[in-house]
Amino acid sequence: MKRLSNIKHLNNLLKTKQISCTELTKRYLTEIEKENKTLNAYVRITQDAALLAAKRVDEKIAKGEELMPLEGIPMTLKDNISTKNIETTCCSKMLEEYIPVYDATVWEILQNQNAVLLGKTNMDEFAMGSTNETSIFGGALNPHDTTRVAGGSSGGVASAVAGNIAVYGLGSDTGGSIRQPASFCGLVGLKPTYGAVSRYGLIACASSFDQIGPITSSVEDAAIVYDAISLYDKKDATSCGKRCNAQSTLENSIKGMKVGILNEYFEGVSDDVKEAVDKALNAFEKLGVQIVKINIPEMEYTLPVYYILACAEISSNMGRYDGICYGYTTPKYNDTTDMIFKTRSEGFGREVKRRILFGTYVLSAERYDSYYKKAWKLRGSIIKSFKAAFADCDVILAPTVPDTAYETNFTLSDLADNYLSNICTALANLTGLPAVSMPCGFDQKGLPIGIQIIGDKFEDAKILNAAYQYEKLTHDTIYKSKEIGVML
Amino acid sequence: MVKRDDVLKIAKLAMLYIEEEEIESWIFDMNKLIGFADTIKSVEDDELEDFDDISNIVNAFHEDEVVKSLDRELVLKSRDGGEDGYFIIKRERNNRGYL
Repeated sequence: MKRLSNIKHLNNLLKTKQISCTELTKRYLTEIEKENKTLNAYVRITQDAALLAAKRVDEKIAKGEELMPLEGIPMTLKDNISTKNIETTCCSKMLEEYIPVYDATVWEILQNQNAVLLGKTNMDEFAMGSTNETSIFGGALNPHDTTRVAGGSSGGVASAVAGNIAVYGLGSDTGGSIRQPASFCGLVGLKPTYGAVSRYGLIACASSFDQIGPITSSVEDAAIVYDAISLYDKKDATSCGKRCNAQSTLENSIKGMKVGILNEYFEGVSDDVKEAVDKALNAFEKLGVQIVKINIPEMEYTLPVYYILACAEISSNMGRYDGICYGYTTPKYNDTTDMIFKTRSEGFGREVKRRILFGTYVLSAERYDSYYKKAWKLRGSIIKSFKAAFADCDVILAPTVPDTAYETNFTLSDLADNYLSNICTALANLTGLPAVSMPCGFDQKGLPIGIQIIGDKFEDAKILNAAYQYEKLTHDTIYKSKEIGVML
Repeated sequence: MVKRDDVLKIAKLAMLYIEEEEIESWIFDMNKLIGFADTIKSVEDDELEDFDDISNIVNAFHEDEVVKSLDRELVLKSRDGGEDGYFIIKRERNNRGYL
């Protein structure tokens, strides 16, 4: 088993001229050509742009200029993050061949650091799904076992990083879409506090839930990327920017930290996951933390509230796709109304339509009060309960997903069961809290298991500090990767 | 419980066509989701307070500066360049004339 690349190591190789950025980029591009046929992680390779950025970095190194932390590091972006002049499809027929005319703020920030974009990665259509299989390009596969999914919706990023055909990537998390694939692929996935990272240029799924964050091979890498992208952006009305520097507190001792446990999080999880999470709790106790039980009275309403509100926002956000200004347009139609109906019916996949229909239902005049308005008030109660819980603990620890990576073409028997797979992750989106998923072991089939640490608002640095300390203690038993990808 | 007419009405609001052979499966899916959502009905409305937003964000107004907008030509490129700087759609006629 080899270790995956990490940002600091590569940054050091570049600085000390042990490898040029062009050479490093070429190695990644060669491996992508080889591995992507199996993994289906990338839906678009941006070779020319990558080599151009690499050349700029090499010129800087030749002049003896300092490198920024992410400078020259080969990376990827989920295909819902807008990239000017580079096709951005959300893996939907609706946006096939759509080329944005502006950059997402996160990509602008990374371009200013000369990040090397290798390509855009696979995802569930419009970020709706948890297996990657709603993508029009077919799903990304899991490098730990290619008969299994990489997870979703940011499965392409996770597949690329776990297969070491990207050093890190940015995904988006609406109900667990960064943390669940990170868990399935044995990686670190951070959903920052809502507002900590600009959403400008992120093609919206459910706007009050969406958040951009990194998927990386280590906690330190997640902190480096978080520190780089967490900036105030006036183009995003909900942007708050950074309230903390995550890298500076990673080494802090977590002795005496109070770790909250919610019993409900452990209901319905598989035996292997439960065992791995219990072991992780023991490891945290070794680090000197104090485990405390906490209670959120509204726990049973979390998922219904999440789906009511998220689908309502989805139905509204998806309203913009009418075939007029960009994206897919039906070739044959009678009049404008017929064109819009046909374009939407042909352009959206079934999962997207399902959420649009359900969202439209809960927003319709007769049902607005009993579903949408009530769910919105319940969201307020849940947020208040979490605020109260954080008076008794510093962070909350929970499994990331009740199970490990599903087999491909596996459909949960019941639609509601399918949505229940988000039970552990959706809470952080509902409340806007930061949460980081990291590996905590393997099941009997050798598939990675994830644990997540949830913090209070803008305590992103605190959860990364706890995750880093746990990772340091347990690294050799919680990380492994296949002999694929770039060897350095 | 939603029925055929409800699903067709919702689909119309959502601007989606539903094929005849799909209707049953949509009724099934919608009822599953509605059953799931109905969990919240056990909460009494008067137990709940109104709430504003998830991040306690206050409106942050900035100066109303005139900035460069997107390049019209570039935007219209996604639709074969448009015509005279505009997007083109088919003219639609109703009983009062052209829309």
